[in-house]
Amino acid sequence: MRFTPELPFDGGRLKPLQSEDTAALFALYQQPELPGQKPLQDESQIGRLIDLSVQMAATQRGIMWAIESDGEVCGILSGFDWQASQLRIMLRADGLPVLSDEHRAAAIKAAVDFLIEKYHLRNFGYQWVSGQNESIPGLLGTLGFERCAVLRDAWRTGDREFADIHQFHFISTAEKPQPKKLGDDDNPGQNLDRDVNHGGTH
Amino acid sequence: MNWNFSTGVFQCRLPVAGDDNNALLSLLGKQNQLNHIPRLALENMDQVEDELRRMVMRFENREAAFWLIEGQYDQQVFARISIQKINWMMLSAQLQWELTPECTLDTLQAVLPDLLSFIFTELGLHRLELRLVKGSLYEGWPEQLGFSAEGVLPQQQEFEGKDVDLAVYSRLATD
Repeated sequence: MRFTPELPFDGGRLKPLQSEDTAALFALYQQPELPGQKPLQDESQIGRLIDLSVQMAATQRGIMWAIESDGEVCGILSGFDWQASQLRIMLRADGLPVLSDEHRAAAIKAAVDFLIEKYHLRNFGYQWVSGQNESIPGLLGTLGFERCAVLRDAWRTGDREFADIHQFHFISTAEKPQPKKLGDDDNPGQNLDRDVNHGGTH
Repeated sequence: MNWNFSTGVFQCRLPVAGDDNNALLSLLGKQNQLNHIPRLALENMDQVEDELRRMVMRFENREAAFWLIEGQYDQQVFARISIQKINWMMLSAQLQWELTPECTLDTLQAVLPDLLSFIFTELGLHRLELRLVKGSLYEGWPEQLGFSAEGVLPQQQEFEGKDVDLAVYSRLATD
């Protein structure tokens, strides 16, 4: 079963974390964009990361994609704090300096569009931590995200050092799904190999 | 570490299963005392026992702590104050309260300083967050309790058919 699809965007694609990308992902984690995050020491930790990304997507707790731009893996798009019943999720896109704003924005949009279409999510949060790339807040604005709160010292960067989290939200205007009885759709969970039966016959 | 302590004429103590069922029902059994969170009121003693059991389990895992606040002399419980979603890595937690009508802002102003001191000094947490339904009964209280408004998070949950926005406040150990 597949839980995380490949999603193309202009100039690149989102793709599930795979073992063949271990070296590229390890290189990515040598230049962490998040304040306070230490570079990974051991390449075997990437294997664990890949396993977790599959488990999270399978249980609708989170979802992770590698961002491939011009044929190179240069970022990770993470969806976490996925509240399936509340139709919301938190996003963050972390990348190498070579990841352009244009491609970062396109990657976020591709993920948002997919999550609206497949899982009917409506509320997309994005957490930007003070000290990250300064262009990201402006980029989020172009995607319809609004800055809703500045959470003081909510991100720990050292023993007693902290950074603010700026929390943005984008609320989809798509209609909420109507509750149905179990079995009304032939849509077994999040298996991407199966599609929703819209025909109404079972 | 002693989690029970006195603060002026009030006592903050961890709840006791079996002894505090009625007190808990008086706090969590009335919808108007829960609309600021929001959550549905408890309806019977089975639900109360279940709530008490979960409080104990969450405390044992140190993911939350719940205090019942009562008068030192009359021992009437008038509030439950808790810290939840304790994140020991980020040194943060969320504060939540359920109050009877007898508990006023003045009462909270008398109780909270010692409780906050325990949270910041004894537990070593750095950030305490408070989330209230926008426009709730307690709007304006956080600022008078020393919390700073940080913004409003839109449509955080659906409650009784409506999307609920939550106002976020925080108090830091360094404030």
